[in-house]
Amino acid sequence: MDRLNQAYRMTKRIVLTALLLAVPALTGCGLRKGNDYTTLRWVTYSPSGASMDAKEVIEAANEISREKLGIEVELEFQPSDKMNLMMASGEYYDMVFTSSWLNYFDRNAEDGLYYDITDLVQEETPALYESIGKYWECAKIGGRIMGVPILKDMGAEEMFRLNADYFETRKGMEIPERMDGLESVEPFLKAYKEDYPNKYPVAMDKGGIPGFLNFLERIAGGVIVIPYDQDTPVPQAMAIWDCEPLMNRYRTLHRWYEAGYIHPDAATIDSTDADLSIPVRFGVAWKGYMGYSNPAQWGFEVKTSTYEGPFLSRQSEQGAMFGICAACTKERATECLKYIELLSTDRKFRDILAYGIEGKHFNYLENGTVLQTQAGIDRYPANLYTTGSVVNASVSSVSQEVLSDPDQWKKVFEEYETDGIYSQTKGFYYDTTRKESIITSLQAIYSDYSTELRTGTSDPDVVIPKMRKRMEAAGFNELLEDVQSQLNEWMEKAEHEETESEE
Amino acid sequence: MKKPSQKNNVRKTGRKAPKARRDRELFAMSLPAILWYLAFCYLPLFGIFFAFKQFTPKPGESLLKNLFVNSPWAGLDNFSFLFRSSELPQILFNTLFYNLIFLVLGILIPVMLAVVLAELHSKFFSGVVQMVMLLPYFLSWVIVGYCLYGFLATDEGQVNHVLRMFGAAAVQWYQSPGYWRVILILVEIWKSAGYAMVIYLCAITAIDRTLYEGAKMDGATFWQRVRYITLPMLRPTIATIFILRTGSLLASDFGLFYQVPLDSNSLQPVTQTLDVYVYKALMTQANFSFSAAASFLQNAVGCVLLIIANAVVKKTDEDSSLM
Repeated sequence: MDRLNQAYRMTKRIVLTALLLAVPALTGCGLRKGNDYTTLRWVTYSPSGASMDAKEVIEAANEISREKLGIEVELEFQPSDKMNLMMASGEYYDMVFTSSWLNYFDRNAEDGLYYDITDLVQEETPALYESIGKYWECAKIGGRIMGVPILKDMGAEEMFRLNADYFETRKGMEIPERMDGLESVEPFLKAYKEDYPNKYPVAMDKGGIPGFLNFLERIAGGVIVIPYDQDTPVPQAMAIWDCEPLMNRYRTLHRWYEAGYIHPDAATIDSTDADLSIPVRFGVAWKGYMGYSNPAQWGFEVKTSTYEGPFLSRQSEQGAMFGICAACTKERATECLKYIELLSTDRKFRDILAYGIEGKHFNYLENGTVLQTQAGIDRYPANLYTTGSVVNASVSSVSQEVLSDPDQWKKVFEEYETDGIYSQTKGFYYDTTRKESIITSLQAIYSDYSTELRTGTSDPDVVIPKMRKRMEAAGFNELLEDVQSQLNEWMEKAEHEETESEE
Repeated sequence: MKKPSQKNNVRKTGRKAPKARRDRELFAMSLPAILWYLAFCYLPLFGIFFAFKQFTPKPGESLLKNLFVNSPWAGLDNFSFLFRSSELPQILFNTLFYNLIFLVLGILIPVMLAVVLAELHSKFFSGVVQMVMLLPYFLSWVIVGYCLYGFLATDEGQVNHVLRMFGAAAVQWYQSPGYWRVILILVEIWKSAGYAMVIYLCAITAIDRTLYEGAKMDGATFWQRVRYITLPMLRPTIATIFILRTGSLLASDFGLFYQVPLDSNSLQPVTQTLDVYVYKALMTQANFSFSAAASFLQNAVGCVLLIIANAVVKKTDEDSSLM
């Protein structure tokens, strides 16, 4: 035990020292000028580090960007802890991946880590400015644009992924394209449980159902929520226990757990991916997304059915963004924007960083979509949102047979206009300064209950009152008051601006 | 452990060679260790300032400037998140409860094992036992956690299979905190006893054999030999390990309390120790100042405890103390 502790502390020390020694060396790094082109250090996210062929692909992209813009990039793929460390130690970069869920944009921008591009982006890269349109709103802090949103699925649409071979062919049930709410899947669960009393139809691991909280705006790590549709003129921030729809969702999950639809150990299971027999899975995607439906992967036909959304909030729109380093010179910031503009307007160029090298990692299909080769899947797996505009990249098909709609994004963005459920408080962000110690303690308390709540393991009517008692003792009400007062202030300002623009 | 003997050597042998030369040689020998301590123990000490600063780095500037110039002083604010939790008494109780038990059992059981093993005549059997007991020490906690899950899983776990075989109802182990104090102690002893045993076994082997032979001739039984020869000779080793372990009374093995119970929410009342709490609080945000504050507090308390323990040992048996 001592040894392990020692080793743990030693690693901490080594990391600190390494930092100390490395920082002076690294600070000069990005400022190096190449022959007649600029090299930009661009750090993006990848949970597992760079893929095998990343170097080759980046060089292929650099060849084009050098010619077109006189810019090349040193693109680094870093896991989240490395990114946090990089930001926390003040390392130099030119562009960095930032978002509402990783390398938190609002806080970093508030702290002045990002370049204010409000004027620059309109003067220097009008095409980029044009293309983002109304989604600039989510990158604004105090009315100034502090980052470039990456156009992708801007709203969150939650769906069931059902085994159609079983439910439709064998059971004769119909899977509609749209279902109403999480509960609507219950007949399917019941049917499966009757056939297989010893198995569990719901794919549930300790992470819970993906996106099951998306119908709320969540503040301070989710302990405070703002429902989307409120009757009150001023939106109310409220505690988890006061939000009836959320409580009901937890009750539903617990009912499923009691009925044997959910594995009794779900709260300790890391992943259910390996169990292909599970007939009901969940996903968050967008209209026309085919990635869940590859029969070769699952061994049966998968049909998706949206059960709620798309929900659009500041958080959902901040799913992926570029931040430009505040320490950049004006010239370098401009070059970053130029590069982002090329990624957002030139499809062929964009496809390189998105999918790799044509012929090796992917091929174009006749309908204009992209099909990854096996080499592409193995050696340059695509996480589109980490390397620039998703909308400007070609759409990928699952196989020669399962084709995607090459124009899916147009439809997705149209759907956001027609069917999108918008948060009343879209644009509001909570400034956590001075309340961080409360939030931190609340996080610790929340994590004592959250896993068993979201997996249905515990009864919310028993557990949440306990959690409430502890949270209130740790200063919950003080935090809630602060959130509400900031929210009121923001509403007042927003209304004021509205009346001004009307005049 | 090694420092006092080194000191004694210097004193004894110093008379023979000219003192300065003698010291120079010793210094040269210990230089790598000194450099190591400087680089990894003393140099990073400036990190303590993280605990008292509201760390706000600016990109492109050095860590030192970010820490000392760009970050405002925060006083003791960084510590406050630790004291906000109404569960703090329980967290401290858990931390101390387990550590005290580990402190006692972690000495008692390995010493007993070592004493018994030293008496074994078959060297081969003794070697096999040592190896088998040492193996768990090299397993990572994550693996131990999943092995345990193999036993305690609700549906497929071995323990529940056996329970069902005897007609008893299956237990949802990961939702039943009552059992876990015992389970955690068993797991920790199982994993660490072998390693500690080897240390005591070494110490026993170093004891002069003639003492035992003489005792045997005088008709001393096994228990008498253990009571009057082995244990007194082991006292300095036990004291050293005791002192070192009291220094980490507030620290706890994160792997044991977080990975082994698979972070199960229901078990939180019995698994939450200070390290687990800090991890959970800071998991979602990379707040360096808060984590520095927590670890500073742990180490400061540990340092005080270590000095107290050392003083207590010194009072009872001067030769066994460290300083």
